[in-house]
Amino acid sequence: MHIPDGYLSPATCGVFGAVMIPIWTVASKAVKKTLSVKQVPYLAIGAAFSFVIMMFNVPIPGGSTGHAVGGVLVAVLIGPWAACIAVTVALVIQALLFGDGGITAIGANCFNMAFVLPFVGYYVYRLICSDSPAGSNRRVIAAGAGAYVGICVAALCTGVEFGLQPLLYHTANGQALYCPYSLNVAVPAMLVSHFLVFGWVEVIVTALVVKYLQKQDAVFFKGGRF
Amino acid sequence: MSNPVHKKSDFIERSILSALAFLKDATLSEEYANRKGLLQSLDPRFKTISFFAFLVTAVSLKNVVLIGTLYGLCLLLAFLSSIPVRHFLVRTLLFIPLFSLCIVLPTLFSIVTPGEAVWSFNILGISAVITRPGFDGALLFVVRIATSVSLVVLLSLTTRHSELLKVLRVFGVPPIFVLTVSMSYRYLYLFATMVENIFTAVKSRVGVVSHQRHGQNIVAWNIANTWNRTTQMSEEVYMAMLSRGYTGEPRLLSAFQATPKDWVWLLGAVIICASLFYRGYTL
Repeated sequence: MHIPDGYLSPATCGVFGAVMIPIWTVASKAVKKTLSVKQVPYLAIGAAFSFVIMMFNVPIPGGSTGHAVGGVLVAVLIGPWAACIAVTVALVIQALLFGDGGITAIGANCFNMAFVLPFVGYYVYRLICSDSPAGSNRRVIAAGAGAYVGICVAALCTGVEFGLQPLLYHTANGQALYCPYSLNVAVPAMLVSHFLVFGWVEVIVTALVVKYLQKQDAVFFKGGRF
Repeated sequence: MSNPVHKKSDFIERSILSALAFLKDATLSEEYANRKGLLQSLDPRFKTISFFAFLVTAVSLKNVVLIGTLYGLCLLLAFLSSIPVRHFLVRTLLFIPLFSLCIVLPTLFSIVTPGEAVWSFNILGISAVITRPGFDGALLFVVRIATSVSLVVLLSLTTRHSELLKVLRVFGVPPIFVLTVSMSYRYLYLFATMVENIFTAVKSRVGVVSHQRHGQNIVAWNIANTWNRTTQMSEEVYMAMLSRGYTGEPRLLSAFQATPKDWVWLLGAVIICASLFYRGYTL
């Protein structure tokens, strides 16, 4: 799902960068309120954790790569605003140091994977699990469902971003200047691969990890730690 | 005879371990950043700003020759910075540009991009026509991506990662973000080692992972265990920070010092970008 440099026009990158600035500002304020000074290293470690999960990616046709993002998992564990910062940090390190995901496309990548994915996934999780007991299977199912919906909505956003490029940026004779596939190809390509393959990777990783953590330390889901 | 189940589990193990090996190699080596060369001698702030300007130029230009000029500059800079060109080409062309080439292949043909035919041929009795707009579009797309990736990799190879992260402050990134990024980066190697050790421990106790479901459980357990250990570690890290004088307000040490050479470099980069933009505008 990482969008490299050159897939999106500079204007699109600028728009998403501008959209992310207030989100990052609100995220840092929210995190400052909810996480104590003591938990700053926790945020850094959460980001490294998210990075490690995202390392295992597989190329897919239609524009990008697919992998477990772990954004919903991190959101379930430390809250969606902290997850937004943790995933952003992971994406910045990937783009700057490893060339995975573009530097100019960092706003778009963060919008998809650090904002849409954890927030959609987290609220689906909250909606399904409601006030169920910390060790219940319902929480495992809720985390899995949140992960699936979160990654599929993020993939939809990525597909729309790709698909808008040939409509908005082309030469007089119709030659695409950036991602060459329009909405009718880019959106189904991203959605089908995530509906059928990568959504399930995210479900398996998120649900099983939540299940293991429930067994080891149910305090994670009681809100006791944060 | 090969066992497909074994192959599948081997693939999971190999992909994870090779990803970890790459991460460890990338975080530890910094071999090229420590060499003597043109880019290594520049102040990281000036170098990052100039490379960002090159990147924006590469992404904005619509002419393949002009973007190709930037790519040529990139290769020249790699050579002047003691980076073996072969290694650089392998690192920059084998992954994202090659993958992008595969993605744009269908757009070469008239069925996706109609227009003036430049080459037609038959595959298994089916007539295929490559069109001018399809070819030009695909070429522009791949050259732009190859150039962008090369610029980012060149910056990353010739700059110590800790310095590159510190440069984020120049772009007005709040100290708390820079601190988190720097800390997070330091844990990557530790995590990579931790995951690798867990895999080795599991393999030494149960042999090969013989079933896909078992493999999934091991990966999930691995992630859950990593998370548990990180929470324990965070307490220890905080105590270590306190013992070193952390008061709750992040402070970053900055030892950057600009020289006339850095200003000349920046001026040169601005002139190159402006010239390319002007040429692109007048073409």
